[in-house]
Amino acid sequence: MSSKNTIQPPKWADKFFMWYCKNELAESILGDLHERYEFYRKEYSLIRSNYLYWMDILRFINRHTLQRTSNRKTFIPTIMLKNYTLVALRNIKRNKAFTMINVIGLSISMAVCLLILATIDDQTSYDEFHAQRENIYRVTHERLNAEVNLPIATTPMPLGDKLRNEYAGLEHIVQFRRGFSGEIVDNGKAININGYYTNPEVFDLFDFELEVGNPSTALSEPSSVVLRKDIAEKFFRDKDPMGQDLNVEGLGQFKVTGVLKELPGKTHINFEALSSFSTVASLEKQEILGESLSDWEKLSTGWVYFNFKEEPKLDDLQYTLNRISDENYNEDSEYEVVFGIQKMTDITPGPFMGNQIGQSMPNFFIYGLVVLAILIMTCAAFNYANLTTARALTRFKEVGVRKVMGSTKGQVIIQFIIEAVLVSLFSLLLAIGLLKLLIPAFESLNLSSILEWKLNPDTKVYVQFLVFSLVTGIATGFFPSLYMSSVKPINALNGSGGPKMSGIGLRKSLIVTQLVISIVLIISSTLVHRQIKYMMTRDYGFQRNNIVNVALQGQDFDLLKPALEKLPFVEQVSGANNIPNIGRHDDIEIRKTVSDEAEDYNYFSVDENYIGNLQIKLVAGTNFTPKQTEEREVIINEQAAESLGFADPSEAIGSNVILGDSTNVNIVGVVKNYNFMILYMEIRPLLLRYNPEEFEWAQAKVTGANPIQELKELESVWAGFDPNHEFDYKYFDDQIEEFYAMFYDIVYIIGLISILSIVIAGMGLLGIATYSIQTRLKEVGIRKILGAEGKNLVLLLGKSFFIMIVVSTLIGGLISFFGNKAWLELFAYRITFGYDILGIAFLFIIVVGGLTIGTQTWKAMRTNPADILRNE
Amino acid sequence: MRFNLGEFEEIVLLVVAAQNDKAYGLSVTTAIEKELQRSVTMSSVHTALYRLEEKGLVKSEVGGTTKSRGGRRKRIFMISAAGKEALLQAKDARTHLWSMIPKIVFESR
Repeated sequence: MSSKNTIQPPKWADKFFMWYCKNELAESILGDLHERYEFYRKEYSLIRSNYLYWMDILRFINRHTLQRTSNRKTFIPTIMLKNYTLVALRNIKRNKAFTMINVIGLSISMAVCLLILATIDDQTSYDEFHAQRENIYRVTHERLNAEVNLPIATTPMPLGDKLRNEYAGLEHIVQFRRGFSGEIVDNGKAININGYYTNPEVFDLFDFELEVGNPSTALSEPSSVVLRKDIAEKFFRDKDPMGQDLNVEGLGQFKVTGVLKELPGKTHINFEALSSFSTVASLEKQEILGESLSDWEKLSTGWVYFNFKEEPKLDDLQYTLNRISDENYNEDSEYEVVFGIQKMTDITPGPFMGNQIGQSMPNFFIYGLVVLAILIMTCAAFNYANLTTARALTRFKEVGVRKVMGSTKGQVIIQFIIEAVLVSLFSLLLAIGLLKLLIPAFESLNLSSILEWKLNPDTKVYVQFLVFSLVTGIATGFFPSLYMSSVKPINALNGSGGPKMSGIGLRKSLIVTQLVISIVLIISSTLVHRQIKYMMTRDYGFQRNNIVNVALQGQDFDLLKPALEKLPFVEQVSGANNIPNIGRHDDIEIRKTVSDEAEDYNYFSVDENYIGNLQIKLVAGTNFTPKQTEEREVIINEQAAESLGFADPSEAIGSNVILGDSTNVNIVGVVKNYNFMILYMEIRPLLLRYNPEEFEWAQAKVTGANPIQELKELESVWAGFDPNHEFDYKYFDDQIEEFYAMFYDIVYIIGLISILSIVIAGMGLLGIATYSIQTRLKEVGIRKILGAEGKNLVLLLGKSFFIMIVVSTLIGGLISFFGNKAWLELFAYRITFGYDILGIAFLFIIVVGGLTIGTQTWKAMRTNPADILRNE
Repeated sequence: MRFNLGEFEEIVLLVVAAQNDKAYGLSVTTAIEKELQRSVTMSSVHTALYRLEEKGLVKSEVGGTTKSRGGRRKRIFMISAAGKEALLQAKDARTHLWSMIPKIVFESR
């Protein structure tokens, strides 16, 4: 017979029971169960006994067994809170260096996150003052047969009336039409005004309130205008604007019938003035504005906003819109258009669309910012966790004592989270200070003026900040607190240390992740910077030094030119309709004979001085004959010669081509290809036309010996010509640079963030280095006594960090190689991804890593072995 | 004071009283199975015991160790004064009801 020991019930059943039953009843119940099992074994087979035993175990799942020891569970350590805070503050005070690292790291990343929070807050605050905002929609369109399928915010003008007549469920329909813009000459000064034509219902649908004027009649008469308050003040100062006349150049006389109150918030509809919609018909009849009111093919002239009378029936309306589009477009029409409906609250931030009525921040920008914020905060939280667990070495005894005195795991967790929250609150204070410094810098970016960033954090934002820092505190404190709370008092008190650092691998990979992020950011920002530099300093194929571009602003080029050329420092003046390389281009159809298929070519309208002035190289033929009265000659570039089918540029000379409908011109010259478009595009076929009528710019080649004096004299010549307009000039160089300024903003932002990430990663390294070296101090001491040299010790301590740095450089290098290749390939002219960039990043990391680890290693080596080993 | 005793609780309480200071979960279970020929699960007996303890009709204390249970201690249940009162009340109630039954009911058998 088997011994009594063999009568053991199934182990798993016992384990299961001990898992679910964790109170004082467990022992006696399990005892009873075991006794019962012995009884089963005497009566039944092993299998049946085990089955019965399992059934017993399962049946015991009830409220008595599931209940945890009650007095512990319900204990909320409110009385202990004061003690936790006190101990936390003492600890913060005692470990000044650690606290500094933590607070600085957290506050820098917090400041950036707060900035992002404020930006998002700002960008989501559009159109909040409209009472009906949740019920306002607009119609959008999309062209099915377009090359790019982008939703467009504008719609054809006839759609407004069509909706009024064919869909009864709408309350107000407001149309905006572009084209109300021009200069208003007042007291010898010209001021630009920009706005829309719109119908009176605009005041019913939107909450644009009038300070003076009657909203129901202000926009009913033709040629009435309602001004924004600041614009009215600009024009009329102390005078009463009501009933005054405004002469808008090119559009005629308007009467002021109202002044808007200052807008209570931001709106995505950007205007300075609104004119009555009834004006449009007469202006179009006079051919001042292009015909649009009944033209379904004009897709970009206007916008339609509306609200529903009752509950919005989007499907219903969409059905009507589909019918309208079927009626007006088919496969034979130039465009195939489908309409869509967009809610006003989804406009900004919203999907990326064409022809927005004002500025609008695309959604992906917001998402990108959020991802960035999360990334930064994660890195900072990692660091806090790393540093706190490292520092925790000194606090195991405290936790041990606490536990012996009756503290539970939960209480220890709460204690350490409170500490983290305190640190995070300190960081918040510092971060808000930093934010005050960051905001002006951020707002000065070109990007921000385009997006109308106004970052004035209000109470609501500050509440968000507070919540944010509390959440950060809890999140960052969570890991260390779990770690600390798992300390077994017996181990802590007999000095054998805390729980084994099983997380060391995890923490190393966290550091590697941080380093990888930093490397990718460093490399990317360097690349972006280089690419922009490359684009700006590249040989464009034409000369742009010392050329001052003067905007004609309607003045006669033929008169201005001799006046400018009289100045002694002006070498030559040429005219042009457009400045190359700033992204604008004009197209014209070209064909060799009437029967040929026409193609669109880019063109510049220039004169005979242009090629000389910009030092464009002629490879064949001659320059224009000076002083032509009719457009007879054209100069093309090599690309155009090739695409027109001439084997050699010289073959093209003398050939006849037809421009547009019927302008016959002779090719007199072929110029070498030069970059007239933005540099990311290949050089396309180009025509230089002799067409002074289109001139918008006079380009004066100056000596550049004394720029300030030269500009002064140019300005005085201009003042003699046109006292109404300010002298509008730009150095050619600056003008191109201005165009690329936006890219510089991006470099600026990425650069800032990469520095930030380096700082954070450096602190992470510092934390882990401190920890691992502190745990090895004794080893170092013994090695020193046994005669280890300094360099051996450095190798010993630094090796694993060096490996981490190399690994992260490899991963980061690979990621940034492929990541940056993707965007670089969009550019026709681009820099190559050099190993030097990788080297720079590696060096950078090595220096940062070396500094942090080096100091710790140095400290460890300098310690007197006697001090470390005395305790043994 | 009136006590509210369920039928099963009353049986368990009776057994606890009968076993006088030696009652524990398993002993009560086996007693019910043996004396009443009634199959019960141990967990329901335990539950009844705990409920009785919550009502203050039994007291429990942890007893000494025994070898047979892997060194685990028994939880010994004892009837309290209130428990005794409750049993007496239940018994009185039944006797009273019995006395109300006319003799004829059983005689007709």
